[in-house]
Amino acid sequence: MRRVFYLVQKEFRQIRREKAYIAIIFLMPFVQLVILGYAITTDVRNVGVVVVDQDHSRYSRAILASLETGETFQLLGTVPTERAARRLLDRGKAVVAVIVPHGFGQNLLRGEQPALQLLLDGVDGNSSGVALGYLQGLLAGLQLEWVREVPELARQIQSIHLIVPEPRLWYNENLVSVNHIVPGILAVLLTMITLFLTAMNIVREREIGTMEQLQVTPIRGWELILGKVLPFVLLGFLLLNVGILAVQLIFAIPMQGSLLLLYLMSLLFMLSTLGLGILISTLAHTQQQAMFIAWFFSIFTILLSGFFIPIENMPDVIQYLTYSNPLRYFMTVIRAIYQKGSELPVLLDEVAGMALIAGITISTAVIRLRKRNV
Amino acid sequence: MLHHNNQQTGHRELPPTPAVGSAGSGAATSQPALLAEGVSRSWGDLPVLIDISLQVASGEIYGLVGPDGAGKTTLIRILVSLLLADSGRVLLHGHDTRLERQYVRRHVGYMPQRFSLYPDLTVEQNLRFFGDLYAVSREEQLERCNRLYRFSHLAEFRQRRAGHLSGGMKQKLALSCVLMHAPEVILLDEPTVGVDPVSRRELWDILHELRQEGTAILVSTPYMEEAEQCDRVGLINAGKFLAEDTPEQLVANLQVRILRLRTTDPWATWQRLLEAGLGLQVQLFGEGIHLTLAADENQVEVEARLRQAGISFQQLYPVKPGMEDLFLARLQQVEAVSSEVITDV
Repeated sequence: MRRVFYLVQKEFRQIRREKAYIAIIFLMPFVQLVILGYAITTDVRNVGVVVVDQDHSRYSRAILASLETGETFQLLGTVPTERAARRLLDRGKAVVAVIVPHGFGQNLLRGEQPALQLLLDGVDGNSSGVALGYLQGLLAGLQLEWVREVPELARQIQSIHLIVPEPRLWYNENLVSVNHIVPGILAVLLTMITLFLTAMNIVREREIGTMEQLQVTPIRGWELILGKVLPFVLLGFLLLNVGILAVQLIFAIPMQGSLLLLYLMSLLFMLSTLGLGILISTLAHTQQQAMFIAWFFSIFTILLSGFFIPIENMPDVIQYLTYSNPLRYFMTVIRAIYQKGSELPVLLDEVAGMALIAGITISTAVIRLRKRNV
Repeated sequence: MLHHNNQQTGHRELPPTPAVGSAGSGAATSQPALLAEGVSRSWGDLPVLIDISLQVASGEIYGLVGPDGAGKTTLIRILVSLLLADSGRVLLHGHDTRLERQYVRRHVGYMPQRFSLYPDLTVEQNLRFFGDLYAVSREEQLERCNRLYRFSHLAEFRQRRAGHLSGGMKQKLALSCVLMHAPEVILLDEPTVGVDPVSRRELWDILHELRQEGTAILVSTPYMEEAEQCDRVGLINAGKFLAEDTPEQLVANLQVRILRLRTTDPWATWQRLLEAGLGLQVQLFGEGIHLTLAADENQVEVEARLRQAGISFQQLYPVKPGMEDLFLARLQQVEAVSSEVITDV
């Protein structure tokens, strides 16, 4: 056990010599959180809208007026023809064109089908989908106001009993995506540092030949692994705390749940990524190879974690694949602790998932390191 | 484990003691410190070591001499149990290295061919780290460091990073790290390759001193002249021993006579000798060209043949065969035998 201490001591002596590590731990969280936290947003804002008003009724003017209020849309103005509107879409000036045809108001009052054309730039499918949703809601609201003004229609409406949904948003009342993204960035940061640094560090020892030198000392396999895992767990915790501080300072996002629970979960998560890092180191002969393999894994780890893309949206096969991804579990955990204040009992599935992955990767790594020994 | 620590701390720091007994295995003093029996190993289909046996006694320097690719490194890696032999066994003070790996780890010092210390740690931090790993107490580390600094003249560089040392200093530091736990058996893989002559001498001085203290030393080298520094030498080529004995005896046993031929342009003369095909064994050396005489040849006759072939030279005189002549002669004998075998088939 004393030998593990000496290994850890040696590791920190080396880390202290490496200025890059210090930058990674203390600067990277701030820089990444600031840039990514504000850049990665799923909020749809300032969607450029152009209106073709062929009706010139008070109804079409009401549509124009409601597009001008709120942050979702930015009314670029009206154009006389549909062709002019298309040109704006083609050139990317506008994302949405609302075409109010002649006789729109008339039809509405007569109780006939009031048709209205919407043209959307579907290149960014997600944003235009969200914009379409907003527009439909907005138009439905307007229609409800208008029909009430016509006594006959109002009576009919009364007898229909439309569904009146009453949404209450929990955990993130204002649907601020920063609250969702920022804890996610923290999780991604933790993945990167543990995965890359462990893999590179062990391969470096092999490259410079010290691994062999260590193998002729009385160090045992598990001591060697522990001596490698511990320093990076400690570094990971340091990074996590700097990150938590940055989240508090920059975004003022309060942590609803228990910090201790987050620590425990982070430990479990780091064990699984460190295991993967050691495993990568047994596959690579040079630091460059280790880097490439680590990149390969981390891209999948991040994309299939539910960080950007909800896992439920993925095809079934891919969804099954995500069960082997430790970040998938930790992403859920860190968001739940930050936003919902979840307690341990509701996170047991995630605990099991991460523990299983940690167990498999670390034991495989130990076996592979032993084999190399011979 | 405690017992062995006592041994290390007890005897080994004393001033030179007679070789026998200091290595400490108590009862069996006749037992060699290191014993290899019938070790073979192949990489895939390629045999690298074929039935190698050797022993090294306490207080003995054993030289493993052979060209690059002879199998020296593979053999040493097997002896320190970094690699398993396909067959054969290795005993360290009677302990089978395959079964008692921890015993081997504690009592053996291994210095690999390539510099393999932490370049970003200082000289002292490297020394201390290896001392720590072998559970050498702090006070003892200090003592040993100072003693090793005396040997290696690294004291003034103790705060320098290992990566910033010169080649010779690196090797001396590597050897010092190996010696931090005062091992009873040390194995050094080509420690003098790429090292300046002064550091090379210092390294050999350290080895001689360790031998005085009763350490068993196995050292490999591609330099034939270094064989003369060893107590016993194994000449190895293509995974097989060509010969094994004391350097003096090896040379004495060799029934060859060597003539040295001096010219102004040795290389051109050597080329012409090869082309002339005089049936002589010809080797180019720094000091001149060596001609190996067959049993029925003499200097006068050879001189006549050279003149006949129109090869001019300044001097032709007999010299005592050196290690290199020996190695090459042995190699030719072996090749002659194996080609006979082939023609027989």
